[in-house]
Amino acid sequence: MVALDADYFRELETPRIAVLSANLVAAVFPLMKLMPARYILDRAAAEGALRPGHRIVESTSGTFGMALALLAAARGYRLTLVTASSLIDAKYRARLEGIGARIIVTEDPDGNGDQVRRLQELQRIRSEEPHCFWPRQYDNPQNALSYAALAETLVRSMGRIDCLVGCVGSGGSLCGTGAFLRMIFPQMSIIAVDTHHSILFGQPVGRRLLRGLGNSLLPANLDHELVDEVHWVGAYPAFKGARDLLREHGIFQGPTSAAAALVARWIADSRPGARVAVIMPDEGHRYADTVFDDAWLASLPGWPGATPSKPRMLTTVEHASETEWTRFAWARRSLDQVRQAHSTH
Amino acid sequence: MLAVASLSRNNEPLSLEGVGTAMAHHGELLQGVFEVGNGRLLRGLVTLPLPAMTSRATFIATRSTDITVRPHGRAKAGVAARLTLDHLAIAEGGAVDIVSDIPIGHGYGSSTADVVAVIRAVADAYSSHLQPSRISQLAVAAEKASDAIAFGEQALLFAQRQGVVLEHFGGALPPLLLVGFKTRDGLPIDTLNLPPPRYDQAEIQQFRVLRGLIAHAVRYQDATCLGRAATASARISQRHLPKEQFDQVLAIAEDAGACGVQVAHSGSLIGIIFDRTGKNLRRRAGRVAGLAKRLGFREVAFHQINDDGARW
Repeated sequence: MVALDADYFRELETPRIAVLSANLVAAVFPLMKLMPARYILDRAAAEGALRPGHRIVESTSGTFGMALALLAAARGYRLTLVTASSLIDAKYRARLEGIGARIIVTEDPDGNGDQVRRLQELQRIRSEEPHCFWPRQYDNPQNALSYAALAETLVRSMGRIDCLVGCVGSGGSLCGTGAFLRMIFPQMSIIAVDTHHSILFGQPVGRRLLRGLGNSLLPANLDHELVDEVHWVGAYPAFKGARDLLREHGIFQGPTSAAAALVARWIADSRPGARVAVIMPDEGHRYADTVFDDAWLASLPGWPGATPSKPRMLTTVEHASETEWTRFAWARRSLDQVRQAHSTH
Repeated sequence: MLAVASLSRNNEPLSLEGVGTAMAHHGELLQGVFEVGNGRLLRGLVTLPLPAMTSRATFIATRSTDITVRPHGRAKAGVAARLTLDHLAIAEGGAVDIVSDIPIGHGYGSSTADVVAVIRAVADAYSSHLQPSRISQLAVAAEKASDAIAFGEQALLFAQRQGVVLEHFGGALPPLLLVGFKTRDGLPIDTLNLPPPRYDQAEIQQFRVLRGLIAHAVRYQDATCLGRAATASARISQRHLPKEQFDQVLAIAEDAGACGVQVAHSGSLIGIIFDRTGKNLRRRAGRVAGLAKRLGFREVAFHQINDDGARW
């Protein structure tokens, strides 16, 4: 009899492949961040940098922390997560603490994620504790490398892929998957989905209502020169999209996935000959009391407002409101190149 | 093949003779390192079989325990014969005779073809039929590493040093036309004494994507995807066992609308892969062959793979 592989995390990190239309395929994850978390911890353990009993410390807004917490609990590591008050709710915090994670919350009065203070706090912990392992999801190239598993899953079912759509937070999933797919399909378009007031593609920093994508710092795992087109999706169309996904396809995913789905469906409709893949990073349970609650939605100022059926094309990178959806032809340029092009106009 | 087996009254073998054949290959579509569960990594490859070239072995049992091999110098074939006899619990030896039209040392898998042919010949002499998995394991035991040709035209990811199948892709490769050639400086390579390449993390991750693409290509008989996977593997191989003028080959293949380029990862063969069902195949393949000759590549030849009797 064959030995059983007692590693459920492998299954848990594997997305379902959902065909949404004739040319649109979604990789639907329960908890996508398990993919980089497991890969990074496996490598660290193999290299001796991480042993049972050691502490892991990371700055995270949620799902990467959940992935680390699940792995740490199962494998006997201690874990400290540094997050900001604008990013974490009591229930999610209780879930994390319930499996042994220690949570440090910074105040974040500006509601922008407070990355700078979170990283200062993280450095303090590292200096106090020897044998402290920091996965560095934003800058660790292993984050992007781990997504070969997603690229494999996609090509196994789809073969040729002409267009990849995904959200950007750390840059790991979109740039990792995108780079592996470009190795085989050099012409493939990569479409980045961001949100207003995220600095990733040059918008000014500010309070973000839609969480799980965007960033207030620039992570090294974001390789701008891979990106053909950027979409900024506001919170309102994303929230609405999450309800549509559940109603139309039975897919219960969070608003981040919905933002990606919104963009991907528009891309697939406007390029009928192209085979489009979209990454949906996490489930909707965390949003049961918000995005999936009509009363909560009704409490939003101006909800529901006009729903954009297509993005507004921008010629320069600029901020828009939470009801809006904009796009910009990034054309595989660096952030500096785009900024310079703006200043010469 | 039917064995000639006639037994006397006291069960003494009078004359036992068996025949076995095995095909060549044209290097690999993919070669690298692959995860096999529990984080364990194994070297593996996807062979590109070449049924037109074969090794044919004859085995004649003798009463002595000695094993003789002709032509001289194919020691591994002798080891393979002994291992097969041991597996069949036969103490006696015999005479092995090999006739092969597979060139030695360029990545056509001449050595494995000889070994597999001999294993089949010995089994045949004793009216035994061995499964490809058993033949592969005997072949690995005889020559340290083996390719997947015991499985014939079946497409699979094969661990060449363990002789085990890592993934069966569920069928044969799609019909292909291959324009094959040898590099100009293509001296014979002693495959087994070549140090195995050390792949970095990024390459190992790339291999898993290519494995997925080949699985798709076999399942949906998609020559284009197969060619893309082969090209990517050949590019990685270029960092470890570089072939001269590889970039020119890539350019020729792209201009001709070929599916891709494959190489013998431990040999001097290069192949430009065409979809056998593509349009203007004769003109495009002919042009590619002419350009390859002009670049100085040697022994340019057309190989039909899984043509199913079709002509082109």
